[in-house]
Amino acid sequence: MTETSSSVRVSAGTRIYLYLSLSLVAAVVLVPLVTTALGGFKTLGDLRLNPFGLPSEWVWSNYIDILLGERYWRQMMNSLVIAAATVFLTLVVSSMAAFCFAHIRFFGANQLLNYFLIGLMFPAATAILPLFIRIRDLGLLDSYWGVILPQVAFGLGMSILLFRNYFRNLPEELFQAAFVDGCGYIRFFWYISLPLSRPIVATVGIVTFVSSWNSYILPLIMLNTESKYPWPLGIMVYRGEFGTDWQLVLAFITLTILPTIIVFFLAQKHIIAGLTAGAVKS
Amino acid sequence: MASVGLRHIRKSYGALQVVHDVSLTVEDGEFIALVGPSGCGKSTLLRMIAGLEDITDGQVTIGGTVVNAMTPRERNIAMVFQSYALYPHMTVGENMGFNLKLAGVAKPEIASRVGEAARMLALEQLLDRKPSQLSGGQRQRVAMGRAIVRDPAVFLFDEPLSNLDAKLRVQMRTEIKSLHQKVGTTSIYVTHDQIEAMTLADRIVVLNAGRIEQVGTPMELYRTPANLFVAGFIGSPAMNLIDGTVDGETDSPVVRLAEGAAIAISPDRKVRRGQSVKIGLRPEHLTAGGDDSITGQTLLVEPTGAQTHVLFEFAGQQMTAVVDGDHPARHGTPFRAGIDHNLVYVFDTESGKSL
Repeated sequence: MTETSSSVRVSAGTRIYLYLSLSLVAAVVLVPLVTTALGGFKTLGDLRLNPFGLPSEWVWSNYIDILLGERYWRQMMNSLVIAAATVFLTLVVSSMAAFCFAHIRFFGANQLLNYFLIGLMFPAATAILPLFIRIRDLGLLDSYWGVILPQVAFGLGMSILLFRNYFRNLPEELFQAAFVDGCGYIRFFWYISLPLSRPIVATVGIVTFVSSWNSYILPLIMLNTESKYPWPLGIMVYRGEFGTDWQLVLAFITLTILPTIIVFFLAQKHIIAGLTAGAVKS
Repeated sequence: MASVGLRHIRKSYGALQVVHDVSLTVEDGEFIALVGPSGCGKSTLLRMIAGLEDITDGQVTIGGTVVNAMTPRERNIAMVFQSYALYPHMTVGENMGFNLKLAGVAKPEIASRVGEAARMLALEQLLDRKPSQLSGGQRQRVAMGRAIVRDPAVFLFDEPLSNLDAKLRVQMRTEIKSLHQKVGTTSIYVTHDQIEAMTLADRIVVLNAGRIEQVGTPMELYRTPANLFVAGFIGSPAMNLIDGTVDGETDSPVVRLAEGAAIAISPDRKVRRGQSVKIGLRPEHLTAGGDDSITGQTLLVEPTGAQTHVLFEFAGQQMTAVVDGDHPARHGTPFRAGIDHNLVYVFDTESGKSL
């Protein structure tokens, strides 16, 4: 790919057009992020008068108060526990299911795969009422599991699809060599497929983590005790009966999205490799 | 080590039968090559012996035991693949010892056997490298090391040299042959390259469209091909084949060719006057100058060093002769050659069988 792109000559006009387009896309992504982060440094009055500019006075206490408060860290732990369990379960279940779809021929395999993929069409919010009733019947209301299990279930469709495509692109001869060496399906999965699938494990892991991290509706419906709230519900605390402390909301949002941005930058290489796996013949 | 037996093996994919009633015995310690054009069923046959492909009908035996229902591991075979199939996330040492690890062999024993195989294949310095850090030839040696480290009953090679360049292929060919001489394990080697088969194998099995055409030593196949297919496949450059009709007396038969040409054939050939035949002339049997029974216009001259290949027109078709490197053949000039009538092969046009 590098050779191809470096060998293509681009005219000055095209280059300008490319940079303008990329700048526009970058602005669409960056402006809300920067505005949010800067908003957290303002007073409420400053924010109302000057929502997009630099703060007239840098109010560090907005961030410091949140960071020094016990609620922020407790909610972070809740978010982490829910996200980590969701990621772990999604990775375990979807990788094993996808391995079966990729390597084992069995009656109804395609129909079963399609059944999982149908899940892609239904966001959790559309099924929130029956989901609430089922979680209540299972006795999981107001527990982490009441959030984790639906998140895993709704994440399976995309995760299985990504894993299956990746597994199918592993060379067939590797499978045969492992079979000759004495592997069965389980050993091949454990010793060969999984270690070779680090990019897709990272991709599914990050996508699931971010989805769980940002999840608002499910925890809102399933959790009642404030001590179990994850970060996104923490914003509600700043909404009063007669007004909202928007500068604190923005500071809080900035502090909650920061970890996912850091994780994304650290795992960026793997995520992009995983998303484009199988796009071209290697 | 063990003998390998194939008894009336058939393989079908739905209604399409790709291997037809193949029976063969590979003796203990023998090196046998399965050779044939693409799609002839040679790799399918090998994969059935390995246990990677179901057998539609027939029996495979290894060491006298029927192995049809056994997994590859239970068959105690080792296989070297065309693409090497090394595990990219493991080092050379881990690749070679992986099958022993799966078999539950103790770590010191694995290290000792991997070390021994590495010494045999000159891989000692590379044991900690990953496959991506090796050259094609080194990867091929690791693939062979992975096979020998477990001391299998049978080695199976599936076109192992196809991905190498010409020079490395010759070098690796020698290494495979000397390895077989050292370990003496029964080996079955699939290739489409008849030179590879001729140089390596004790016996060659020529396959065509899922059937065995002939089994024999390399020189048997070269000297007495059973039919037109084997005659055309074994030998490089390929045998010249020309249509003709048998004529002349019983004790001095000739084959009349197009454009009034005629070639004398051995009286030992079982032919009858008026029979339609194809005669086969090996390019290296044509003697430049000779008795001038073969004369034609030179079309192309290909010097290869010690020898020169001359493409010329004779009896309405193109022929190839292999002559001395110093032969002064030039494009457009007449080329004259002769041939000993005992070296003229004769095949029945209809059945293709040697006469």
